[in-house]
Amino acid sequence: MKYFEDVRVGESDTLGSHTVSAEEIIAFAKKYDPQPFHTDPEAARATIFGGLIASGWHTCAIMMRLSVEAARRNRTVTTGSPGVDSCRWLKPVRPGDTLTGRAEVLETWPSRSRPIGFVRSRIEMVNQRGDIVMSLVGLAMYRRREGAA
Amino acid sequence: MSDLVYFEDVEVGQTKRFGRYEVTAAEIIEYARQFDPQPFHLDADAAQESMFGGLIASGWHTGAMFIRMVCEHAVPGTATTGALGFDDLKWLRPVLPGDVLSVETRIKEKVDQPGRHRVGTVKIEGRVLNQRDEAVMTLTSLVLYRRRPDP
Repeated sequence: MKYFEDVRVGESDTLGSHTVSAEEIIAFAKKYDPQPFHTDPEAARATIFGGLIASGWHTCAIMMRLSVEAARRNRTVTTGSPGVDSCRWLKPVRPGDTLTGRAEVLETWPSRSRPIGFVRSRIEMVNQRGDIVMSLVGLAMYRRREGAA
Repeated sequence: MSDLVYFEDVEVGQTKRFGRYEVTAAEIIEYARQFDPQPFHLDADAAQESMFGGLIASGWHTGAMFIRMVCEHAVPGTATTGALGFDDLKWLRPVLPGDVLSVETRIKEKVDQPGRHRVGTVKIEGRVLNQRDEAVMTLTSLVLYRRRPDP
């Protein structure tokens, strides 16, 4: 198991990849972000994006899925997140794009009141051309080893 | 089209309250299965044993419900063209099955986009509230607005 004590500032990890289909872009957007450039390929062509693009919140969701799968592979003991310092949607995500996540630990500190520690990481989602489409800096809470001070 | 709210029309300090989103256990689980399959988002029994003591929505699901209410109530009639992202997102309280969410927004700041004459950025503070008016999530969105076209 990977606990707070096992996390090192500067360590990085690849989170895995996901190829985004037009169907899933439209399904997510119809439910949560119904704007023409996310839901309607025809109407999207007339917008500044020139075609269908994924909701930024969909890209965040894909990042979360990849993060959960990576945590499972690494047997990491996390207990959720208090928030995100910043998130930028830097380039459009289009149907057929393959997004790969990568994460780097920026800072760690233990909670004074609870048996957890905080980890601040930068997570980037990169497409198949190497463009960073999304960059965020967020916090995660990790469990501490039993008996840790 | 002339009565659209453009960048020039947005006033710092303006507030809005809108939306009504009933959160169901089925939707919490559906979102979590697809995007955030951790036990406290997936399964009421497993969630009992977590630090939250019951099923709670994924924070990203709360973000998705926020943007749904924004699309329904705040985007229509405005010359917005997407968002650059957000800052200072905080998940303050768990979102539980049966919660009824709404949104409060306040225009915080208008920022010119260097080198971009057709759009400007509006920083909007958003608060997602539950049925007790407790903030469950807050963030500052960076929304792009088109500028008013020349007559």
